[in-house]
Amino acid sequence: MSSSEQKAGNTGHDQMPIDFSFVLASSVHDMKNSLGMLLHTLSAMMENSPPKDAEQARFFSTLEYEAARINGELVQLLSLYRMDENTMVVVIDEHHPIDIIEEQIARNDTLLKSRGIEIQVDCDSDLIWYFDSELIGGVLNNLVVNCARYCRKHLLVSATEENGFLCISVADDGQGYPDNMLLGPLPQTAVSFSSGNTRLGLLFTRKVLELHKTRKGQGYMTIANDGPLGGGVLKLYLP
Amino acid sequence: MADLGYYKMHALIIDDFENFRGTLYKMLMDLGIGNADSAASGEEALRYCKARSYDLILCDNNLGKGKSGQQVLEELRTTDNPCSDSLFILVSAESSKGIIMAAYDYEPDAYLAKPITPKALDQRLSRMIEQRVELKAVLAAQKAGAEQLAIDLCKELIAKGSRHANTCHKLLGQLYLKRDDIAAAEEVYRTVLDNRELEWAQLGMVKTKLAQNDFIGAQQWLENILQANPLCMKAYDLQAELYKLQNDSEGLQNILQKATDISPLSILRQQALGDVAQQNNDLITAANALKRAVKLGENSCFDKADVHSLFAQATIDLFSIDKELAKPFLREAISCVNNLEEKFGKTNLRRVESLLLESQLQVCSGDQRRAQEALSSAQAALGDSKEEAALPVQIEMVRTLRLLGKTDEAQQRLNDLLHQYANNEEQLQDLDVLLDEPRSEKNKLMVAEINKKGIAFYNAKDFTAAADAFKTALQKLPNHVGLRLNYVQALIDKLKTRFETGVSDKIQQTFTKTSAIISPQHPQFQRYRQLNDVYNTVMRTYEKNKRG
Repeated sequence: MSSSEQKAGNTGHDQMPIDFSFVLASSVHDMKNSLGMLLHTLSAMMENSPPKDAEQARFFSTLEYEAARINGELVQLLSLYRMDENTMVVVIDEHHPIDIIEEQIARNDTLLKSRGIEIQVDCDSDLIWYFDSELIGGVLNNLVVNCARYCRKHLLVSATEENGFLCISVADDGQGYPDNMLLGPLPQTAVSFSSGNTRLGLLFTRKVLELHKTRKGQGYMTIANDGPLGGGVLKLYLP
Repeated sequence: MADLGYYKMHALIIDDFENFRGTLYKMLMDLGIGNADSAASGEEALRYCKARSYDLILCDNNLGKGKSGQQVLEELRTTDNPCSDSLFILVSAESSKGIIMAAYDYEPDAYLAKPITPKALDQRLSRMIEQRVELKAVLAAQKAGAEQLAIDLCKELIAKGSRHANTCHKLLGQLYLKRDDIAAAEEVYRTVLDNRELEWAQLGMVKTKLAQNDFIGAQQWLENILQANPLCMKAYDLQAELYKLQNDSEGLQNILQKATDISPLSILRQQALGDVAQQNNDLITAANALKRAVKLGENSCFDKADVHSLFAQATIDLFSIDKELAKPFLREAISCVNNLEEKFGKTNLRRVESLLLESQLQVCSGDQRRAQEALSSAQAALGDSKEEAALPVQIEMVRTLRLLGKTDEAQQRLNDLLHQYANNEEQLQDLDVLLDEPRSEKNKLMVAEINKKGIAFYNAKDFTAAADAFKTALQKLPNHVGLRLNYVQALIDKLKTRFETGVSDKIQQTFTKTSAIISPQHPQFQRYRQLNDVYNTVMRTYEKNKRG
């Protein structure tokens, strides 16, 4: 018997194999609950004792931003896990894009204020489209949180119909996206631990867009620089 | 923002964390909501909701021990209380997706993800309230049963280009279905579907097809929906309804099995699965589903005493065909019948019923002393009651006496009952469950018909159809030896054509059950022995071939 066979035999007989993605998902779920508590306590604390000076305000804002980012990532992780397990329910219905956009801005109100970011919305309030509001809301939320970090002062979120697709675009006045993000289609596994950027957000966005398909085609996104505010612009297209 | 009358609103906050309650209270006050109460548990909240009406309920889904937020919602929407149409927001730390899967039919007006920020709450609230204001007249008409008025109002809103035209279309479909104006409902759904394949409109189409008894049409729509979204629980529920209309109890069990595999937390689906599996004589599935239904019933307004009794019954029946399979259920079944009175209220008949079920379950666990004790208490409590309402427990009494080996006493009781109800068709139908040959006209007819049908299938060598035919009658007449032997004969011939372990297990179980109800004096005893021999020969041949 070869050594590899022995090894396989051992794990097979002695113990049940660990379904590691399940373990991860359960623990992520737990972390998310704790983080919810943390975020909540944080905002209560800020309310009880507002920042005394600019430096304190910056500390608070960093705390809040990082916590919000972890929260967003954990939500994405759980969603990706569900998609992988085929237990992700997609509920496509008619919605007003303006509602979803305003919802994300409202969710990140404190963050945007603390960073002094002015956000402009350009969307016909009567425009209707078809999508899963929770999933697209999640994608937009990540974009807003992300842009809050990279933009200088202004953020523009707009939604229009383009060639039979709904185009939601998020533009900022920052330095723009790095070249490697602009080049070509996204790699299958957009994860690189060494660079410190797991690109989880992009993977999540792409998966969510793929879940929106009709006879016309499926959802996709584009990333470009030199957008309307001089910085990067990311566009989501939904059939 | 237009004045939506926040200051007039009375809200209820439900969360098990004091901290969260405080924060939400402050947020609501800052938004200008007139008044807000707080509850720390679902049970407390429901007490409040019975006492007064709330305009808005903010409820966390995970409330720790006791009822969940979803269960609070279900109870508010299905029972009579002043908050049955309050705006209900379900707050959750996770995404709403998991909750949707577990939910049955009752959706909140909105889901809100934690952490909640004042701005997000304000935005969501104003959207909901604005919609409520716009649809107020429609909803009021719908609630008052004035469907035509509601329909007219919906149409007006759509015509003037309301922001909520989509909701109006959904309501229109429901209203037309309610009024049995199927063509109009279909028209609504078609118009939506011409524009976009939306799931709710497809589900609406299924409902119109079901209402027209167009089973093939309904089936096609359902297949489309489930192919696009295998997790659409509402499609499973409609598929179950379709099978029910077609009297296809096997199909019904299969679809409920699938639905509960995907979403095990819905009590109504588990109850339905237990029920149909019991009817189909699939006792292991029944016992499993009913056990889960009992567990889920702990905090649910859908819990029913019948489900608990049926769980005990299924366990006892399972024991009669396979002791080993029944073992893992015994402990829970006993505690379930012991709690029957405490959970569903004390009445003498319920007490007798629970004691009799306990007695039988104690026999199954091999505790004769406890079984005898429970039986004695039951007999004392029942006395010599002759009231009609006691018939179900009288039947249970005969079963218990039989299981405890008190055959003569059982027969005496049975004879008394047959005498008492000799001219009473309905009661005789109930008593037939204890008899070899039915006494009621209806069941006599049924046996004759099923035998004719089954034997025709058998002669045509369609052994599966024959076995199915005999089996359906056995559920109503479990002690009918002739039917049981017909069933086993069809199964043996089926086994001869193709060997299947599932079939040989069923034969084995049927023999176990038959041996308990047949005596050597029975006119069919000879036939029983012969069939047993045939089966043993088939098995021996199979074993030999397998080895060779």
